[in-house]
Amino acid sequence: MRTKPKWLFPVLALLPILGLYCCIRVYPIIETLRLSLYQWNIISRRKPFVGFANFIELTSDPLFLEAIFNTTVIAFSIVVITIPVGLALAALINSRQGLRRSGVYEASVFLPHVVSLVPAAMAWKWIFDARLGPLNALIGLVGIPAQSWLFDPVLSLLCLVILCSWQAIGYAVLIFLVGLKNVPDALYEAARLDGASSLQAFRYVAVPLLKPVILYVSVITLISSYNIYAQAFVLASDVQGAPGHLVRVLVLDMLENSFRNYRVGYAAAEAVILLAIVLILTGAQFRLFRDRSRA
Amino acid sequence: MMKPVGRFGYMTLPEDCIRPATSGRRSWRSAALLLALAVAVPVFASPASAEKLTIWSGWPDLAPFYKRVGDQLKSKYPDLEISVEAIALREHEKRLALSLPSGAAGDVIEMEVEAARYLEAGVITEPPASVVDFVKANYDMTRVKTAMYDGKIFGVPLFQGQGALFYNTDMFAKAGLDGPPKTMADYTAYAQKLAQRDASGVATVSGWSLRLSGGGSGIAEKYWTILYNHAGTLLEERGGKWHAAYASEAGRSALKQYLDNVVVYRTVTPEMKADAEAFELGQTAMFIRESWVIGDIAKKAPNLKYATAPLPKGTLMVPVDLYVPNKGPKSQIAWDFVQKANEPENLLWLLENTAWVPNRKGLDYSAVLKRVPQLGAFVNVPADYAFFTVPAISPASEILTRLAARLEKAFTDKSLAGNDAAIDAFLKSAAEESDKILAREDLLAKP
Amino acid sequence: MSESDHPSSGVGQHRVVGLVIDTILCVVSVMMLLPLVFLISNAFKTPPELLAWPPTIVPHQPTLENIVSVLRETPLFRWIGNSLIFATLSTASIVSTSAIAGYVLGKFDLPGFTVIFTVIIATAVVPFEVYMIPLYLNVQSAGLLNTWPGLLVGYLVMSFGIFLIRQYVMTSIPDELLEAARVDGAGEGWIFLRIVLPLMRGPLGALAVLAFFQAWTAFAWPLVVMTNKETYTLEVGLALFQTGFTVDIGHLSAAAALALVPSALFFSLMRRNFVRGVAASGLKE
Repeated sequence: MRTKPKWLFPVLALLPILGLYCCIRVYPIIETLRLSLYQWNIISRRKPFVGFANFIELTSDPLFLEAIFNTTVIAFSIVVITIPVGLALAALINSRQGLRRSGVYEASVFLPHVVSLVPAAMAWKWIFDARLGPLNALIGLVGIPAQSWLFDPVLSLLCLVILCSWQAIGYAVLIFLVGLKNVPDALYEAARLDGASSLQAFRYVAVPLLKPVILYVSVITLISSYNIYAQAFVLASDVQGAPGHLVRVLVLDMLENSFRNYRVGYAAAEAVILLAIVLILTGAQFRLFRDRSRA
Repeated sequence: MMKPVGRFGYMTLPEDCIRPATSGRRSWRSAALLLALAVAVPVFASPASAEKLTIWSGWPDLAPFYKRVGDQLKSKYPDLEISVEAIALREHEKRLALSLPSGAAGDVIEMEVEAARYLEAGVITEPPASVVDFVKANYDMTRVKTAMYDGKIFGVPLFQGQGALFYNTDMFAKAGLDGPPKTMADYTAYAQKLAQRDASGVATVSGWSLRLSGGGSGIAEKYWTILYNHAGTLLEERGGKWHAAYASEAGRSALKQYLDNVVVYRTVTPEMKADAEAFELGQTAMFIRESWVIGDIAKKAPNLKYATAPLPKGTLMVPVDLYVPNKGPKSQIAWDFVQKANEPENLLWLLENTAWVPNRKGLDYSAVLKRVPQLGAFVNVPADYAFFTVPAISPASEILTRLAARLEKAFTDKSLAGNDAAIDAFLKSAAEESDKILAREDLLAKP
Repeated sequence: MSESDHPSSGVGQHRVVGLVIDTILCVVSVMMLLPLVFLISNAFKTPPELLAWPPTIVPHQPTLENIVSVLRETPLFRWIGNSLIFATLSTASIVSTSAIAGYVLGKFDLPGFTVIFTVIIATAVVPFEVYMIPLYLNVQSAGLLNTWPGLLVGYLVMSFGIFLIRQYVMTSIPDELLEAARVDGAGEGWIFLRIVLPLMRGPLGALAVLAFFQAWTAFAWPLVVMTNKETYTLEVGLALFQTGFTVDIGHLSAAAALALVPSALFFSLMRRNFVRGVAASGLKE
C-alpha cells in the first residue's frame, strides 16, 4: 500500500476533472479570444484573419456603445442599491434573530432570488404596464401622473434596475446575515460599554468587520449584473402587438451580432471587451477594499 | 425551531456538519422522492419509437395548420408522428443559423429571405424533380425568387406576409369619415380627426397607431412601407449591388409624417398601447399590419367592427417558403408534407383560419371572402399594386436594426419637427451608416 | 442570539424599537413577495378582469380556465420533468467533481497545483455568455445537440464549488486525521471515501442545492442547445411560450405561476441547505 508514490492518487483523481475543465472552460475561452481576430459568419468556410479590425469598429459602433453604457449604468445602479439596502435589511433581520418571524423575513426577502427568472420578469412586466399596471395605480394615489415605464428610454432602464435589484437583494442579505452572526458578541459589548448606540456599534464594529464580505457580494453582484440578458429579453420581448423600448445590454447585442447579423468574430470581440471589463472591475474592487481596510 | 444559520457559518467546527439536523434529513428524503418522481414521469411519457417528422416554424399561430397537414399525411404513412415546433421568429432564425450548417435542423423548415445565405453556402439540398415541376406549374415565378439560387429552385412558397390598413368602422363613422384614407396626406388628416382626447388634450385613443418602439428591425420595416407609399424606398439595387436610398425627398416626407403625428399633432404617443393589441382593445382607430391580425381579432375581439383597405401604392411583402434541408430516408415524407401543405383545400383553410395569404396561383377565394370580407384587401389588390421585399442579402437585418435604433429616437425628437435641414442631416448620417455596412460586405453599389 | 443580547436603556423603548423594526421588515417582505402574488392572482383572473382598472389583487371571479388551457396547450409537466432531470444530473456532476478536486487541491501540495487552482478560479470570472458560442460549436461538432450530454456540457463543473470545498477541507479537516489513517495503512481512495467524504456532507449538501438552482434557472444555454419542444427546459419553454402575436396575460401568468410551484416547493424543502450554501459562499475571503 505504502509503496505507491505519494503523487499518484491526487494526480489520478484530478486528471479527469482537469480534462473537463480544458474542454468546456479553458478551450472555449481561448477560442473566443481567437475568434475575435477573425471575420466569420458561422456557416462560411471562409474565415479571414482581420487583426484588430473588429475592435476598431466597435469603438465607433453606436449600438455597442449604447449597450456598454446601459449595462454599466444598470450594473452600478444595482450594486449601489443592493449593497446598502441589503446591509440595512440584514442588520434589521439580525436584530430580530431568534424570533420565529425572522425566518419568515429571511425567506420572503430571499425568495425572489430563487424563483425562475422568466416568470419573475413576466410578473414585473405587468406591474410596469402603462395602462393596466399596479405601479401606475400606486403612483396615481399620490397624484403622480401615469408613466410609460417600459417605453421611455430612461424609465425602462430604471425598470430593469428595479427588477434586477429585487432579485439580487436576497442574496446580499443572506450573506450579510452570516457575516453579522460571525461578529463576536464581545465586540458589541465592548462598544456598548464605551457608550455607543446600537447604530454606532453597527457602523463602527460590524461594518468594518464585514468588509471582506461586502467586497465579495459587490464583486459577485457586479459581475452578474454585467451579464443580464433574460430580464431585458422578457421585459421588452418582441411581442409584436405590444412593443416596448428594448434596453440594449451587452449580452443582447452580442447575441444579436452572432445570430441575427451572423458576425461571430465581431460578437467575440464584444465578448472579449466584456471579459476585460469584468476583470478590471474585479481587480479594482479588490484593490479598493484592500486599501481602505488598511487605512 | 429555527436553528441559527450561523452555526454552519463557523466552518471550523466539523461536528456541525457531521451531525445533520433532523429536519435537514427529512427534507433530503422528500427531495429525493420528488426527484425520483420527476425522473420517472418523462420516462413513462416518452413516445414509442415511430417515424417522426419534425416541422420547424417561426410562426406559433401556424402550429394548428401544420398539425392538420400532418394528420392528413397519416393516411399515407400510418406510423408517422408529426412534431410541430413553432417558436418565435427570432428564436427560429437563431436555431436555423446554429443547426443548418451541421445538418441538425428539422425535417421541414420555414425560411424567409435569409434562405439566400444558406443556399449560397450549399447547406440545403435540392428537391426532387417532381417538386420543382410542381413549383413551376403552380406559382408566379416572381414570388419564387427568394427560394431560388443560381437559377435553381430549392424551396416551395407557402404564404406571404403583406401589409394593409385596418380601420375601426365605428370610429370612422363617428368621426364622419365614410371610407379609408386614399393618399398618405389623408392618413395624417384622418388621424387628427380620429384621435380621441381627454380633457387635457392628451390622446386616449390614437388616430393612427404607428410603430414607434419595439425590439429590432420592425420599426425600420414599417418605416419602409410608409416611405414606399411616399414614392421612395429604403435599399435600392443597382447591378446586383445595393445602396441606401432613403436620404431623399421621400425619406424626408415619410419621417415628417411620423413627426407630424407624434410631435406636432400628438395623435399617437409612444407609450400608448399600439398595433393589434390597441386595435383589439379599441385604443386606436387604424393601423397598418399583415393579414394575421384578422385571425387574431377573430380570436380575441370577435365583436370588433372593422374593415381593411390596400395602402396607396404598395406594401412590403415577406414570402415564407418551405424547405427540406437534409437528404435522407425521411426526405421523401418531408416533401410529401410540403406538397400536402400546398394543396388548395389546405391553403384555403390556412387563409380562413390564420389569415395568412397563400402564394399559390389560381385559388378560388370567393367562399372564404364571403365569410371573412376583411381578407379582400389582401387577396384582391389593385392591378398596379406593388409588392417589394427585403433584399436577400446577409447584412439586411443589421442595416434595418441599426436604422431602427436611430428612428426610434428620431420619431419623438422635437428638434426635428418642422426642421427640414435637421431631418435631412439625420437621414444622411443614417444612410451613410447603412452604406458602410454594405461596403463592408462588398455589396455597395457604386454611385 | 436574541433580543436580550442587546439590552437597551428601557424595556418600553426596547419594545417600540422592536415594533418599528418588525413593521419595516413586514413592509419589505410584502413588497418583495408582491410581484409573485400579482402573478399568481393574474393566473386566476378572467380576461375582462385582467383589463380592469385599477388592477385587483384578489380575483373577483377566480377561474381555472387559464391554467387548464395552459396545461392543454403546452407540455408543461414534461418541461418541469426535463428541468428536474437536467438539474439533478448537473448537481451530481458538480458535487462529485467539486468533492474530488476540492479535497485534492486542499490537502495535497504538488508542484503546479497552485497554478491549476488559479486557472480554475480564473475561469469563474469569465461570464458564461462570453464563451458560449465556441462551446456550442464544440457540442455541435460532437453531434450532441438536442441530447442530455450536450445540455449538460455547460453545467458539469462549478469553479465556486471547488473553491468552497477546498476552503472547507483546508480549515476543517485536520491533517492529523488523514495522517493517522495513513499510518494505519489506509489507501488514499479509502481515506477519501470513508473519512473525508462523510466529513464533507454539510458543505456538499449546500453546494448541491446551489448547483441545482443554477441549472434550474439556466436560460441562454438550454435555449440554443435544446431545440425540440419535448426537450425544452421549463425556463425556455416558458420564455418561448410568451411569444405569440399578442400577449395573453392570463395564460402567461398561469404558466408562470405553475412554473413557480416546483422552485418554491424545492426552496421551502431545502431552505436550510440553500441558506447554508449561499452563506458559505460569502464566508471566507
